[in-house]
Amino acid sequence: MSALAATQSFAKPNAPAPASKLISPQALMAIKNLELRARIVVEGFWHGIHRSPYHGFSVEFTEYRQYSPGDDPRYLDWRLFARSDRYYIKKFEDETNLRCYLLVDHSRSMDYGSLGWTKSQYANTLAATLAYFLHQQGDAVGLLTFDEQIRDYLPARNRIGHLRRLMLQLEQATAGTATDLVAPLQRIVEIVRKRSLMVLISDFLAPIEALERNLTTLTASGHEVMLFQVLDPAELTFNFDRAVMFRDVESGRDLFIDPATARREYLSRLNDHNEAVRATCQRLGAGYRSFDTNRALELAMFDFLRERHQRSKSTNRFARSRK
Amino acid sequence: MSFLAPLFLLGGLAIALPVVFHLVRRSSREKQIFSSLMFLKPTPPRMTRRNRLEHILLLLLRCLAVCILAFAFARPFLQKPMAARPTNTAGAQVVILVDTSASMKRDGVWAEALEKAEAAFKKATPADRVAVLTFDDQVRSLLSFEQWAAMNASERTAIAAQRLSEAKPTWHATHLGNALVAAAETITDAEKREPHTGPRRIVLITDLQEGSRLDGLQGHEWPRGLEVVVEPVKAKRPTNASLQWVMDADESAQTTSDAPVRIRVSNSTDSKREQFQVRWAGVTGDSLDAYVPPGQSRIVPAPKLATNAAAERITLSGDEEDFDNTAYVVQLKADEVNVLYLGNDAETDSAQSLYYLKRAFQDTRRQAVRLITDEAARRTPFSTTNPPPRLGGYKLAIVTSTLSEGRSDEVRQFLTNGGTALLVMNDPQMANTLGILIGTPNVGVTEASVANYAMFGQMDFTHPLLAPFSDPRFGDFTKIRFWKHRKLASEKLPDARVVASYDDNDPAILEVPAGRGRVFVLTFSWRPADGQFALSSKFVPLLYSLLDQASGASAPLAQFRVGDPVDLSAFATKLSGSTLSVHKPDGAQVQLAANETRFTQTDQPGIYEISTAPIPVKFAVNLDASESKTAPLPADELERLGVPMKSGELTPALAAAKQETLHNAELEARQKLWRWLIVAALAVLLVETWLAGWITRRSAARAEATA
Repeated sequence: MSALAATQSFAKPNAPAPASKLISPQALMAIKNLELRARIVVEGFWHGIHRSPYHGFSVEFTEYRQYSPGDDPRYLDWRLFARSDRYYIKKFEDETNLRCYLLVDHSRSMDYGSLGWTKSQYANTLAATLAYFLHQQGDAVGLLTFDEQIRDYLPARNRIGHLRRLMLQLEQATAGTATDLVAPLQRIVEIVRKRSLMVLISDFLAPIEALERNLTTLTASGHEVMLFQVLDPAELTFNFDRAVMFRDVESGRDLFIDPATARREYLSRLNDHNEAVRATCQRLGAGYRSFDTNRALELAMFDFLRERHQRSKSTNRFARSRK
Repeated sequence: MSFLAPLFLLGGLAIALPVVFHLVRRSSREKQIFSSLMFLKPTPPRMTRRNRLEHILLLLLRCLAVCILAFAFARPFLQKPMAARPTNTAGAQVVILVDTSASMKRDGVWAEALEKAEAAFKKATPADRVAVLTFDDQVRSLLSFEQWAAMNASERTAIAAQRLSEAKPTWHATHLGNALVAAAETITDAEKREPHTGPRRIVLITDLQEGSRLDGLQGHEWPRGLEVVVEPVKAKRPTNASLQWVMDADESAQTTSDAPVRIRVSNSTDSKREQFQVRWAGVTGDSLDAYVPPGQSRIVPAPKLATNAAAERITLSGDEEDFDNTAYVVQLKADEVNVLYLGNDAETDSAQSLYYLKRAFQDTRRQAVRLITDEAARRTPFSTTNPPPRLGGYKLAIVTSTLSEGRSDEVRQFLTNGGTALLVMNDPQMANTLGILIGTPNVGVTEASVANYAMFGQMDFTHPLLAPFSDPRFGDFTKIRFWKHRKLASEKLPDARVVASYDDNDPAILEVPAGRGRVFVLTFSWRPADGQFALSSKFVPLLYSLLDQASGASAPLAQFRVGDPVDLSAFATKLSGSTLSVHKPDGAQVQLAANETRFTQTDQPGIYEISTAPIPVKFAVNLDASESKTAPLPADELERLGVPMKSGELTPALAAAKQETLHNAELEARQKLWRWLIVAALAVLLVETWLAGWITRRSAARAEATA
């Protein structure tokens, strides 16, 4: 049973592990090492579904094609030749493997956190977890961190040491002042030519119009796109009680705000925004999940896998209907 | 409790401020960091609910401080009844000062002045003492305090008005400053004679024209309690232009015959017209248009008179007031001065003296010098009736050569009769002539030995001859050099006065008395061979100075202002034995006393004539130019000069209110309650500061404890 099947069984209503068995983010975030954090989550996750991860679920059917002069003879399948006395070319294995790019927002707004850890730490852990998980499966994982411009870029690979470099880059401090999704998305479209899975982890506290335009570009290039929105519980509830000066962590702008009067409108506008992001994703066929930073990361993993599964089903349906 | 400035109590409304500040929820200095403000809008400051007023005591203290301050600014005082005013039973001393200067001749002005004066008389209570003075350039008393007091109370107004109506505006200028001072002195003098406690007042009835002289007011110490009430009278028509005769300087090169009469046309500052016409009165001829903007003046030449036409008046038309539209002009005639030249020189020889002398004496406006050489004099026939003394018709005799015996006697006779001679030592032989003229034989004269050149050394600028050069600008004689000169032993002439000497101390110019006359001796000549004197800038002035010494000339009579005294001493000397009489323009004849040479009755403009002189001499008397400046003075000008002005009469109610205000201000100034209130406000603020500090510290301690 592939891991995908495991997620299928996990997705059933009676299947989820009890919440007590999940690792609390508070305990997780106390661990300094990002890689260790990722490993704990992933292994806990496997532990939860009681399946070995080492079969890899991205190993897809390999296609054969008849040899024609000019093909690289290295890729001739000699076994098939022995069986059938025909020359067949085996399709590249890495072509069939999943290439995943983690696009992580390192802008300063991600530096906010009311629980003792910031959204950025949570997002990094999430990215690291996904990277570790995919790496374990033999998938290629790339990384792109950005704020108002691109900070770091690692191409998707599955080599020894690649994961370590990826972790190091994730651990770098946030530096930017604003969130600009336009530049990183345009850049990734330019860089990544092969069809890949794009996982965008951000708070998406930026104007929606530019996001929509660039996601369109991304999906139109054939990439599969998933958006993970990470928000702090304070952002979601706005549960401040005193009227004070609020300072925008990105722009430094000060505003005097009385939460008692401003809460209702804030929540309504935040929801509208999130809804707009969700609607955009739906329209473009991109996956969308929203987390608060107090949510267990395993659940985020399950969300990821469920999203993948749903998408693969719809893709299969789409493929069948094309046939 | 009353308040001097009750409006400041409105400042008490400011207690609303601390209340509002307490109600406003404190927008703390704390900052809440937040990820993004994109979904947030600024909240306006919100009031807390009434039951959430914090720190009530602090609020009360702040309100109290504001209230006390407002209270202090309102200047409270404790009212005390006003002491009854001492009733002044003594009447006022009032001087009614009426302007009778020439500008009061304008249409309607004098009538209005009379009305105002009468109103002032009527206003006087029976207890008041009134004096009436009129003034122009001098002050005249029409009615004194004593005369007023002596009159029956019911007749006073009528008599005073009668006296005043008899007075008429004169042609004199307005000396307002002196008149005010004289009026004030009239009051103080009266008080010295008879002590008086009532108010003192000067009622000034005048047109307050710009041309009034106010210089008498500078620094004048006004008696205390004196008030000046100005009752201005106004002309019906403001436009007034005037005319003055502008005389040329004596030295002007133009002679009387060819120079046009120049006149100054002035326009008053409040004038409405700018175009005027000027013409000679009494003769037919063209008029001249003069364009003069208001407040300015222009000097224009009078229209040309036809030859042989005699006119003495120039009139101006085009303005609305006539009193100053006539200027009187006398045609000046130059004095004829005869100078006898006794010498052998040719007139055309530039190496000789006469050549230069002829060119030095030019005709001027004042003098026409006739230089008559010896030869010409001999040819002149002398009538039997007017022969002796032969040289009597000459002002000055200039001797440049040795004279014959007969000639010397004639000149000596001339000197004895008071004549003046100039003896120019062309050579040492002239010593004999000098000896004969001054009656001192053996005057030792030798040719001086001049090494290189000689210059003037000592100059006696106190001598009348050199007086014109006494100004340092003109007294530089160092550029004149002499190659030759004669040496005269001055010790042989004990009566001689050395006017100038050379740098080797030899006398250069001497004045030697001879009989009633005198001889000026030059030990040099102005021939080019002797030196540079004839070509220097001092030559001509020195000759004219000599001529003045000889003829005793004084400034000619020409133009005077109304009221100016005229010095007639020049004519008195000529009229030994008889007295001077002057014809005034109105036909009156004034006979001067035997020793009197000053004519002071120039009380009207016109042509005056001194009739007893051998040739009748005329002089013009014109209106003072300042009298034509008829625009009114700025209202505050008198006040600026320190005159104690009274602005206007107060009604009894207003006066009482003013008195009460003054009383209140005085009470308040004495009690000074505001000082104590300020101290109280400061004390409250101190307590408030301490309390606020204590509350802050306490809350900080609490916050720490909870943290």
